[in-house]
Amino acid sequence: MNIYSVKDKLKKLIWVGSIVFALALILLPLYLLIKYSISDASSINTGGAPIPLWPYHPTLKCYKYLFSDTQFYNVLSNSLIIALLTVIISMILGVPAAYVLGKYKLPGRHLLILGLISVRLFPDIASVIPIAEFFIKLRLHNTYTSIVLAHSLLALPYVIFIGMSAFESIPLDLEQQARVMGAKGFTIFFRVLFPLAMPGLAAAAIYTFLLSWDEFIFAYFLLGLGKITTLTLFLKQKLAYSPPQNLLATISVILSVPVIIFSLLLQKYMAAGITTGSVK
Amino acid sequence: MAQVILKEISKKFGLIQVLSNVNLEINSGEFVSLLGPSGCGKTTLLRMIAGLETIDSGELLIDGKRYNDIPAQNRKIAMVFQSYALFPHMTVSKNIRFGLKINKTPEDEIKKKVEWAIELFGLKGLENRLPKEISGGQRQRVALARALVLNPKVLLLDEPLSNLDAALREMAMEELKRIHRQVGKTIIYVTHNQVEALSMSERIAVINQGKIEQYDTPRTIYDFPKTVFTASFVGSPVMNFFDGIISSCQDEIGIQTDFVFIKLDAERMEKLKSFKNKKVKVGIRPQNISYAEHHESKRASDTMIQVSIELLETQGDRSLVVSKTSSNIILRFMVSRDINIKSGEMVDVFLDGRRIHLFDPSTNINIFY
Amino acid sequence: MFLEWIKKQGKLFYEIWPLIPAAAYLIGFLIIIGIYLINLSLTFANAGIIYYPTLKTFYDVFSNPKFLHALISTTIFVVIGTPLELIAGLFLALILYKSFIFRNFIRSIFLIPLAIPALVTATLLFILFDFPGGHINHLLMGKYPLFPQLIQEALNWRASEFLALGISMIGKIWRDMPISMLILLAGLNSIDPELFDSAKTMGAGIRQRIIYIILPLIIPSISAVVLLRSIEMWKEFIFPFVLAGKYNLLSTLIESFYNDWGNSYAASVVALIMVFCIIITAYLFILLMEYFKKRILRS
Repeated sequence: MNIYSVKDKLKKLIWVGSIVFALALILLPLYLLIKYSISDASSINTGGAPIPLWPYHPTLKCYKYLFSDTQFYNVLSNSLIIALLTVIISMILGVPAAYVLGKYKLPGRHLLILGLISVRLFPDIASVIPIAEFFIKLRLHNTYTSIVLAHSLLALPYVIFIGMSAFESIPLDLEQQARVMGAKGFTIFFRVLFPLAMPGLAAAAIYTFLLSWDEFIFAYFLLGLGKITTLTLFLKQKLAYSPPQNLLATISVILSVPVIIFSLLLQKYMAAGITTGSVK
Repeated sequence: MAQVILKEISKKFGLIQVLSNVNLEINSGEFVSLLGPSGCGKTTLLRMIAGLETIDSGELLIDGKRYNDIPAQNRKIAMVFQSYALFPHMTVSKNIRFGLKINKTPEDEIKKKVEWAIELFGLKGLENRLPKEISGGQRQRVALARALVLNPKVLLLDEPLSNLDAALREMAMEELKRIHRQVGKTIIYVTHNQVEALSMSERIAVINQGKIEQYDTPRTIYDFPKTVFTASFVGSPVMNFFDGIISSCQDEIGIQTDFVFIKLDAERMEKLKSFKNKKVKVGIRPQNISYAEHHESKRASDTMIQVSIELLETQGDRSLVVSKTSSNIILRFMVSRDINIKSGEMVDVFLDGRRIHLFDPSTNINIFY
Repeated sequence: MFLEWIKKQGKLFYEIWPLIPAAAYLIGFLIIIGIYLINLSLTFANAGIIYYPTLKTFYDVFSNPKFLHALISTTIFVVIGTPLELIAGLFLALILYKSFIFRNFIRSIFLIPLAIPALVTATLLFILFDFPGGHINHLLMGKYPLFPQLIQEALNWRASEFLALGISMIGKIWRDMPISMLILLAGLNSIDPELFDSAKTMGAGIRQRIIYIILPLIIPSISAVVLLRSIEMWKEFIFPFVLAGKYNLLSTLIESFYNDWGNSYAASVVALIMVFCIIITAYLFILLMEYFKKRILRS
């Protein structure tokens, strides 16, 4: 037609191309990971021929292998236990703190928050050395205690931060109403505030769980030479010994499962949470 | 300076028909207002002329050339937005020179033109200030300067005065008129404020729900509104409306209403003969109902009625009176402050027959148009 | 007077007592980390004899060629990786900014790399950049349709310092680009859309709109990204550990000193130096921003 519609079409082409490129950039690697986890040996050791984009004989062999191994179950349950314990401790410590910070306008509040978050300003790899030495001194190295305490340390600032905004968003009137009706401190907390802050606190708990489940650095330094193995540690150990790639991929996929489950759950919850929040 | 022609322009947003078959011809150098309530489509129309919205069907011709598919940046049309849209990170002078710089104008020309604009708009001394450091009125002038300095074919203004207070607005209106005289560009002005439209424009296009109700000079629109909408939208306070039937009464033709038989001026009474027995909607502006202080000052075309006063609203040197006729129809009229009447009183008023408007109730169009 | 003060403190205590366990926990560990790092770095052990306090470990580390090499490598890692992550984030942010249909869907997808555990991403790259097989090698050797052959022989990605650190950088950028994207997107969304309309009517094409409107107005966001992400680059451990174990950055050097050499003192020194580098980077950056702000405002 005229020069302008040509330019227009070109712009549209670049635009669509960019979206496709970006989506591929993100989704392709994930697809490949899953593909490798269901690949058979011939699809991996092709001896020069290009590795297929879809395995020649897709199989769940690796999954079966792992799930028939009692050691693997051990590893899984370790990660699970540690994550759950971390959530419990972080929430017990963090939620009351979040409540106080969210409800009361203390003087120097910002400074206090900064101080509490400041432990996270240290690089993980830098703070793991002193903490490891500390636990060794207390003879807590290679124990569940050390790793749970360390993970709680990492998660606590987030629990406080997220919990704080969850409590802040509850209208003051509700609390005062409950007080007028005769409820005392704890009752108010448990039966009024806690349920209302639930979406935010649930998010904090989920975040903590994932943080612990996915955590590698502290697990490596605190448990690396001992008997307790977490899933991340397990993966690393396998990486050190020239392992079959499908096994690596399978472990990786299993490691990623909680994230996927929680993301899907969170998406639904978030959508609901946003509407209830905006009613305020 | 350019002539702008819109032919059968239509546009939909999703399922909503925002503009339907709009036809408009704006002459070169003319100051035209697009007047209408919020959501009537006037801003969309303006943006289509600017190239910021696509045209679904119809043609946009500027100086005879079809502009539908030409992107906004190639149209040489300048636009001033309601919020002025000044670049917050650039100083006043940088804002003004932006368009010139983009179009690769040589530096000495830029300097001259920017100086001219700063003179014209009284912005001396503000060259190095940022938009957030100047007042609303000053920002508006910068927006205008920025647009004019590009010597556009057409200047589009989207409710540029709505963010100003009443005093500033009056000053700005005078200034705009002055600039139009000096610079002589084609100006298309969008507003919902009829005072602005009436005082500044050479012609007004009254728009309602995506259609043009009337396109005339301000005088004509005020004195001879074509539709009920135009009559009620233009003019403040709002026109009074009530129903009637055209019939004869004692050899005279007029409009029979619930509360009185209304006569018109002699000229139009002749025309009424062809509309006998037609139902009409009658409209009369509050300004054309006068308090009958002396019954002798009645004109031949006046009709006198008695109304009871409900309440009075002082508006400075005049007051708005809200009254009821014998048939409980509300009539509003104006009295000067000297008149001493109170709520609850029964008074006589004159309805000026020359200024009565009659509309066909099914089409809402003025029967005399 | 005094009694009132006590009452006030008591009331305060009553209000904030739930905060105390968490605060004690966090601040306690903060103190432990600080004290241990300093003490360890001031300790030197040789043949069973422990010296404290001493700067011998510092001297030891500084004169170790591995350290200097790691420091330079990490600096290069930061200097190259941060702009790359900025560009990746900007690319994604621009796409999201201009999309209207499926925006939420595309956004969820763009956030995925952040959700995947870093170790998983590192393992994935370990697999993809394998030698002599591996998807990437096969791709570059032209073994797949529609892609030209760029190299003759397979590259041993993990056997060369440049390549190994390169793929670590790629992994880190891939994983973290959603964060840059979110920060930049917030900046983009804060720009008044009418500015674009206005620029269009004044004759600005898309290139000019980007240069004169978008870029200047998202400079605060860009600064935030550069500052935050450069700090993250200094700290990065997992990717270089899995993919470039032999070629030490400061982070993997810490691990090496601690585990391979059993030298927690040297490790602490390097850790302190890493913290120091981060602080210097942040400080330099803030100075730079102040300088730029003055320049831009004056012109």
